[in-house]
Amino acid sequence: MKSARRHSPWVRLAELRPRIFAFLLDWASWGYIAYAIMYLLNKYWYVRHVNFYGRLTLPSWGWPLVILVTLELALLTHAFGQTIGLSLFGLRLLGPDLRRIPMRQRLHRYLGLHVKLLLQPIALFIDRPLGTLLHDGKQTGTMRLFAKVKDDMPLERPRNWWLTYRGLFTTALLGMTFWLGWKITAVNLGMLVERIGKSGHIWRDLFTPQFTYLTANVIDGRTFSIAHYMMETIFMAFFATITGAIVAFPLSFLGARNIMGFSAVGWLIYTVMRFVFNIFRSIESILMAVMFAVWVGFGNPFAGALALFLHTIAALGKLYSEQVESVDPGPLEAIAATGAKRWQVVAYGVIPQIIPSYLAFTLYRWDINIRMATVIALVGGGGIGTLLFYFKNEVGRLENAWNLVGSVIVAIVVVVWLLDYISARVREKIG
Amino acid sequence: MDEFIRVENLTKIYERGEVLALDDISFTVKRGEFLVLLGLSGSGKSTLLRCINRLIEPTAGTITFDGEDVTKASSRQLRHLRRRMAMIFQQFNLVRRSSVLTNTISGRLGYMNPAASAIHKFTKQDIDDAIACLERVGIPEQAYKRADELSGGQQQRVGIARALMQKPDLLMADEPVSALDPATSHSIMQYLELMNQEDGVTVLTSLHFLSLARRYGTRILALKDGKIVFEGTPAEIDAAKFKEIYGEEAQEVEVR
Repeated sequence: MKSARRHSPWVRLAELRPRIFAFLLDWASWGYIAYAIMYLLNKYWYVRHVNFYGRLTLPSWGWPLVILVTLELALLTHAFGQTIGLSLFGLRLLGPDLRRIPMRQRLHRYLGLHVKLLLQPIALFIDRPLGTLLHDGKQTGTMRLFAKVKDDMPLERPRNWWLTYRGLFTTALLGMTFWLGWKITAVNLGMLVERIGKSGHIWRDLFTPQFTYLTANVIDGRTFSIAHYMMETIFMAFFATITGAIVAFPLSFLGARNIMGFSAVGWLIYTVMRFVFNIFRSIESILMAVMFAVWVGFGNPFAGALALFLHTIAALGKLYSEQVESVDPGPLEAIAATGAKRWQVVAYGVIPQIIPSYLAFTLYRWDINIRMATVIALVGGGGIGTLLFYFKNEVGRLENAWNLVGSVIVAIVVVVWLLDYISARVREKIG
Repeated sequence: MDEFIRVENLTKIYERGEVLALDDISFTVKRGEFLVLLGLSGSGKSTLLRCINRLIEPTAGTITFDGEDVTKASSRQLRHLRRRMAMIFQQFNLVRRSSVLTNTISGRLGYMNPAASAIHKFTKQDIDDAIACLERVGIPEQAYKRADELSGGQQQRVGIARALMQKPDLLMADEPVSALDPATSHSIMQYLELMNQEDGVTVLTSLHFLSLARRYGTRILALKDGKIVFEGTPAEIDAAKFKEIYGEEAQEVEVR
């Protein structure tokens, strides 16, 4: 006897993933609106009229209330309109004939949800069409993946965006975000104009740089020169890029799905590699330099090089492995078919395909490292920044401190621009 | 002629989308045959060819190649079996940025000293063989060009040279001429015929055009929706059979 095909609850849950994410996103967007309302209430009412030094906070019953109200709004908008979440995950609420369902049925859907939502986990264990929930039906419509049904859908002229719920909601959300951002970042255009005189002389000095220390010179018994520190910067960036690229090269294969994704162990290594890349990439090299400056000495270019090196491995590792993943699979198939070993397929099929983009990415990374190396001295990473911040700290003691800062900035701009230009031209040639 | 390949109850289901690509297929190929697979796009020809050298893992069924079970072979055994089965492809599948010579030599990777092959160090013998193979397909002067500098027909010749390099017992060709114009198609097919007749290589090729199949095939196997709908000599395909394979609306197109 052949039984009907049964799906496990996990498969059913996986099929519901877009619907779940869409709902969570919409719920979160209402949560964001709740936060914005609280913030603006604070700014415009509480701090001004009630207690200048205080802060409006939710009472203990406020949190459940907010959760309940936002949940209710999310359910409501889900039943009545095409929300942002539904659009992003490609879902449409459609009737059995793949047409929009009328308002009356939408109301049924919304009310029915309150009962059926709680029973929803049961749906995972009942044999019903994949990707449907209990409140889906002929009357109340079903969320369909637009991509799957669009060819069968009857032709309907889409409404203008300013007449749709989605368009209006998005506009309102963007407008509110702008308002909130203005308040949170304390934008104050009046102050900008009012106090223009305070920084005026700095601008004047910066634009009349004095290249007193372009080559070797001595202040306080120490040798200073822009040229010396510039060399340090360039080589710090260069060394970090080269060593980082050498380490990232083999690691990039471990972080590529099409090389590793054939076994459980391979998949595990792939996941770990990608995780490590992402973690190290998200720590800016200037933060790593803080640690290395303590480790190998404040102001030591080695500290900066180490920080850039680590960040380069992660950044290039990720870029490289994406390149490995995007190679043409045809030649790999052909080489595997001749009876070659897996690593021979990599050596003869993958590497020739990725070399040009590897070179381009490495040059691009060098650009970034140069720019980073100019400021890494802020936390003791060495390089030209050492001089920049030294002169800046001399303001008050040295008459022409800002002019000297200006000379360093000019030097940085010239060198960065020049190297940028060269690497861009070289990348063009390779590409 | 003795039995060379035996395919029994071969089934392939693609997990995603749950597509049944091959549905319980059984047939045999005799040594020295020139077997043509016919059928529309999506009828399972490519899947069938790739199941034989396990570029695609079959879902069920067994494939016996010269007395050895391909489906049960370990990865080492499989590599040794693959050395004897050459394959050429619709899109040629050359490494575009490598030289023609390197592409040709890569047919021999399965036999090479691993350490030497890692640093692209080839023996004099391998290079001479590769040039000889390129001579056989008529393009020895292109040996040091990059593969993507060649025309489509020349690229497919490199594909054939790579296959020759393997000194195979079986040549599988997946739509070898679909990307080429009619005149070039015939010259490519003639190389396959030459390998079949002079070297005694068994050829298994999928083709789109019935006219090419009639001209070169010694036997034809037609697939439709993953099932065998015709098996026999080219002469046995009449108008009715043609409609069965290609559908009611199809018209026969001649490639001259």
